[in-house]
Amino acid sequence: MMKKKFNRNIKKNNQRKLSRLNLFMVPKFHLKKNCPLTGKNAPEINYKNIKLLKKYLSENGKILPSRVTSVSQKKQRELSLSIKRARILALV
Amino acid sequence: MNLYEHTIIVKQNLSDKQLEILKTQYSKIIEKNDGEIIKIDNWGLLNLSHEINKNKKGNYIHFKLKGCGLTISELEKNEKIDSNLLRFLTVRVKKFDLNKNYFKQETNATKKNWEKT
Repeated sequence: MMKKKFNRNIKKNNQRKLSRLNLFMVPKFHLKKNCPLTGKNAPEINYKNIKLLKKYLSENGKILPSRVTSVSQKKQRELSLSIKRARILALV
Repeated sequence: MNLYEHTIIVKQNLSDKQLEILKTQYSKIIEKNDGEIIKIDNWGLLNLSHEINKNKKGNYIHFKLKGCGLTISELEKNEKIDSNLLRFLTVRVKKFDLNKNYFKQETNATKKNWEKT
């Protein structure tokens, strides 16, 4: 019984900490994700590859910021260029 | 010599014969100005994501060509005057991706869906 109570308390404390986290605070937990477009098996960014580009667009067709999608800075530049090319051809 | 990818959007109401005439017309222009055509892709009739001059659909033709700046400027000069075209885009690339067909797969999938229904 004692152990169960103890575990519950830890869970509650963790939830409290998460709810208190702000944008400007340095998070103690590991929240950073890796970039999905770098690495060996990463897909190639191309203005013809509409399926990939649509993942990084909002519902209104705006480009999502890299802090939401966790794309690296170098790949974000490539992405925005290829999205703009696809817009000219009315593909996206 | 540089490698270029060139795509044009043709108006919807043209027939297949007229499309082929357009294709030969522009490939002749490229070859006259010391360019070299490596591949021509027909993406077919696609829905435009937004209207261009009140057109909702367009025929896409994709050229992969070798050439210098003169060939591109001469090509675009002719395309600006052409009233059958909606848009064109040229992109310089370092390598051609000849194995990938982004648009052929989609047309096959849509055909299968049509057959099912």
